[in-house]
Amino acid sequence: MLSMNNKYVIAGILLIIPFIAYFAIPTYNRINPQIGGLTFFYWYQTLWLAISAVLFGTAAYILDKGAKE
Amino acid sequence: MNGVYIEITVFLVFFVIFVLVGFLAKNFRRGNLNQLPEWALGGRRLGTFLVWFLVGADLYTAYTFIAVPSSMYAVGSIHFFAVPYVSLAFAIAMLTMPKLWTLSKKRGYVTAGDFVSDRFNSNALAMIIALTGIVAELPYIALQIVGMRAILTGMLTPLGGNVNLASNIALVLAILVLIGFTYTSGLRGTSLTAVMKDLIIFTTVIVVIVTVFIAYHSALHTAFTVKPVYADLPTKFYNAYWTLFLMSAAALYLYPHAINGSLSSMSAQKLRLSTALLPIYGIGLAFLALFGLIIYGVPAAEHVLKITYANNGAMVVPTLIASVTPSWFTGFAFLGIFIGGLVPAAIMSMAQATLLTRNVIRYLGRELEEKRETFIAKVSMIFFQLLALAFVFIVPGTYSISLQLIGGIIILQTLPAVFLGMYVKRLEKYAVAAGWLAGIVSGVYFEVYSNFVYFKYTIIKTTLMPSSLGLIFVGFMALVINLVVVAVVEGVVYALHKQPKVLPENI
Repeated sequence: MLSMNNKYVIAGILLIIPFIAYFAIPTYNRINPQIGGLTFFYWYQTLWLAISAVLFGTAAYILDKGAKE
Repeated sequence: MNGVYIEITVFLVFFVIFVLVGFLAKNFRRGNLNQLPEWALGGRRLGTFLVWFLVGADLYTAYTFIAVPSSMYAVGSIHFFAVPYVSLAFAIAMLTMPKLWTLSKKRGYVTAGDFVSDRFNSNALAMIIALTGIVAELPYIALQIVGMRAILTGMLTPLGGNVNLASNIALVLAILVLIGFTYTSGLRGTSLTAVMKDLIIFTTVIVVIVTVFIAYHSALHTAFTVKPVYADLPTKFYNAYWTLFLMSAAALYLYPHAINGSLSSMSAQKLRLSTALLPIYGIGLAFLALFGLIIYGVPAAEHVLKITYANNGAMVVPTLIASVTPSWFTGFAFLGIFIGGLVPAAIMSMAQATLLTRNVIRYLGRELEEKRETFIAKVSMIFFQLLALAFVFIVPGTYSISLQLIGGIIILQTLPAVFLGMYVKRLEKYAVAAGWLAGIVSGVYFEVYSNFVYFKYTIIKTTLMPSSLGLIFVGFMALVINLVVVAVVEGVVYALHKQPKVLPENI
């Protein structure tokens, strides 16, 4: 069982990861590799939406596990 | 020609059903200003999955259907900032909204104005925040009207062939339908229309994305050949890109309608979980944004857009849909996009009316009886919608995303009062008010300077401004100035050895 403080730290890290990913613009401002004619710049950022949802969902789960309604 | 009649008939039939259902539903439960306007239906009674599903449809407004594809078409990759914006907005919401929900539950807040009044013990500051919320919603409502107008223009133009006449009639019809809908559907969206609206919108999003991508899967390659600069982000836009997505994300949950929606959740936990999964809907937004590129690879649709609609970017999505789907489905999809503007516009003006009655009129010392309050709320909604109409004329349809961003510049100035107010223990109301004033004045100044002096436009097109970092979002600069002023005034208060007011014990 994680302590409440540790929960917040882990959830905080999970929430910050997409900020880091999206702020690192030079890392994804590329044309190749492409998927179905779509350049890397577009599909990479779209993929990160799905990753964000997983990260945020995990953060919500960690925070609320064992918390009373 | 025949197809156009089928299209319009399908549109009208579903629209009539939509309105009738709403009208009947109204009689089941009476609206009451003291109850939260429900952004999605009955958040208090439904499970996480259904809430998530229904709230998701609320993300598909004219911003997604019309404004983002339009600016992608006209300006290019920089407007893909809407994708990181969607992700980060929900991270910020997860940090702030459960906290606001818990405070609201404890202290009985319904609006951000209620919170500010209690937190800073100042009705005047609450009134400033409420009025800022009301004004910030105006351009956002205007954007929804632009979306409704685009759809009606797409249906009316083939009838007479005169696009100017069609788009003027479309604007009049759009505003009349909006006023009529708001007036008859009462003070809050009723649950049955919410379900129906969401089903229509989801069908539209899924079918449109699938059919367009199947029909034109090779179009992207052509598009990047025609517009090579759209393939990635020009380096000079880096700072514009992150300031746009960061500030849009920070702004979303300061909007009165978004706060109302969050507060209508059943519990802080359910709110957190359903918010966490919302970025998935951004994937639909990303695909719709790409329509602005795809159209460069679809000669037939691009021809219609250029010749018939004089390159009006707002017509990108309607044109692509009409060129790829059968008439009956075009009619259905058009209805989806139409109510995707109509319902959010109604909800936004409801949020405005709530602020007006709760945080402006009451604080002016006027206690109104419920019946009179309801009447004022109804009339004010129509008044606000007509005010919003003014914004339709100062920003061209192609650049309608600027409407949402102008709203962002304004609403961001409430960030210190609402978000910092929740987390920073020692925050002086004078500091927040001074920061707000500096932010609003500088935001308006930079927006006007940038458009009319720097870029020498004759109409408002952009929300970017020149700076030592290159082009950046005006809202970013204004918020930085706001925060600096807040810090300086706080410093002065400390220097004078006055004890800044501390949060009341039980907040």
